[in-house]
Amino acid sequence: MGAYTEPDKVRSLTDAAALVADGDTVAVGGALSAREPMALVRELIRQGRRNLHLVGSAHGIDVDLLVGAGAASVVEESYVGFEQDFGLAPAYRRAAESGRITLRESCCYTILQQLRAAEYGLPFLPVRGIIGTGIAGLHPEYREIECPFTGVPLVAVPALAPDVALIHALAADRRGNVHLARPLVLDERFTFASKKVVVTVERIASEAEVAAAGVVLPYFAVTAVVEAPHGAHPTSCYPHYAYDRRHLAEWVTAAATDEGIAGYLDRYVHGPGTEEGYLKVVGEERLEELTRWSESDQRWQELLS
Amino acid sequence: MTAGASRDFGLDEWVCVAMARTIRDGEIVFHGFGSPCATIAMHVAKRTHAPRMVLVEGSTYALDPDPAFVPPTSNDWAIMRRATHVLKFEELFDLAARGGLDRMFLSGAQIDAHGNTNVTAIGPIDAPKVKLGGGGGGCNMSATVGSLSLWNTRHRSGRALVDRCDFITDLGWVTPEGTRAELGFPGGGPQWLVTELAVMDFVDGRARLRHVFPDVTVEDVRRVTGFELAAAEPLAPLPLPDPAEIALVRRLDPLGIRRREFGDAELARRFRWGDGSGGCAACF
Repeated sequence: MGAYTEPDKVRSLTDAAALVADGDTVAVGGALSAREPMALVRELIRQGRRNLHLVGSAHGIDVDLLVGAGAASVVEESYVGFEQDFGLAPAYRRAAESGRITLRESCCYTILQQLRAAEYGLPFLPVRGIIGTGIAGLHPEYREIECPFTGVPLVAVPALAPDVALIHALAADRRGNVHLARPLVLDERFTFASKKVVVTVERIASEAEVAAAGVVLPYFAVTAVVEAPHGAHPTSCYPHYAYDRRHLAEWVTAAATDEGIAGYLDRYVHGPGTEEGYLKVVGEERLEELTRWSESDQRWQELLS
Repeated sequence: MTAGASRDFGLDEWVCVAMARTIRDGEIVFHGFGSPCATIAMHVAKRTHAPRMVLVEGSTYALDPDPAFVPPTSNDWAIMRRATHVLKFEELFDLAARGGLDRMFLSGAQIDAHGNTNVTAIGPIDAPKVKLGGGGGGCNMSATVGSLSLWNTRHRSGRALVDRCDFITDLGWVTPEGTRAELGFPGGGPQWLVTELAVMDFVDGRARLRHVFPDVTVEDVRRVTGFELAAAEPLAPLPLPDPAEIALVRRLDPLGIRRREFGDAELARRFRWGDGSGGCAACF
């Protein structure tokens, strides 16, 4: 990782997404239904990116959409799906079953230790588990080793330095200092392990404001910043907005067939052509509704039911 | 202590209570994402027999929160409400890796006699019949966590408790490559397996029947279990839930997210408290 020291890193979404090349190893931030970098995901699809190798922990529509659009060829996540909410990820599932993607299913701690090895400047770190499971067979790059001190069997997992990390955050200043709210999931680790870090934010703010809120990702690690309000939609970005269950339901239904995926992409990604266009299709009224989770527990519950 | 006006309760509610009773007071307990029954079980235990339990939510890593309702996704601020603290991803997984996590709830589309679980794929992994979501953190954590409480809500299908998992995602007591001890895993392995039909414990690394639900026979359970299932003698009836526990399940989960783990036939199963009876909230 080089130090990123330009005084102004604000870029257009188009330019920022162009920092991702075909075939790159891409760390996707957030998790499950929360704070996934969806504006970047949609822009990568618009730009026709191919053969991405996705790495991360537990994910949902971000990975499912990239796989459905044919942008990813290797998936190295610990989980892809919609929990008890909507069940299996339809596009990921079909691509895995038909062999259109290479499955490198991993485990949260393994991924964490691989990122840490990159951060520590070490070639590998040892982990427990894996031996005796099927996960070992999906990863010829792992090596079973014996602890030199105790003789205990361990698994050496190689350092993982993604080419690019994609992260959606609450706010950043123009220099690239980023404020994030918990759960951070792997976003800090992605930032320090990756060669490039592209961050979309709800709002570009002053340095003083970001400093007061708390810098979580420091400017020198951040390559580019893009202002993308509602950029995590349909996943949540608290405290701004809850996740859009209705939209996820629409995706899960559409993603059951290739025609359905094409229809979804046409309506929400290629058709509108830009994020501004996407937000218009989703509708101002709906976006506003998702911000009202904090009015009361009752209101919150209604939004999520 | 009444569960509303009703004197009866549902199977889905009872399963959550049975899972709650696998928790001991003072333990640090965690569940994975997509596990509404486990979330509810942990909150029930914390508010009844295990007040000193350290409750860590799956995927937000919120510590001892007090949610107004269980949301349909585990990664939502709704489940973090009034949390004492929110751990970092690293803090939770490091805790588990060094043996500091006492108990974890794990499920699987397939579970074998040794408590190995499969959440990765049905059929061969290079051409799966069904690609499942994946194991999240279970593969590493099952090697080091103190005790595992397993559960499955599709036992009756005959496809859930199997002789052999098509793929092992999370470790039980014995894998094709050796036992837990031989592989050097410090974690304690599966301790309980709760299904919609029965409660099992593990003896010498194999599941053993401990209790069956009152509308189920031992024969019913064995018919849909893909491995030889020994039974404890005598086979004690499953202790009834306390009305306070059932009331907690209902209060915590007004959206009924737990119900999504069960088939319609199971959701139709109702049970009644006898006159003046009712269990006493405690661990098994």
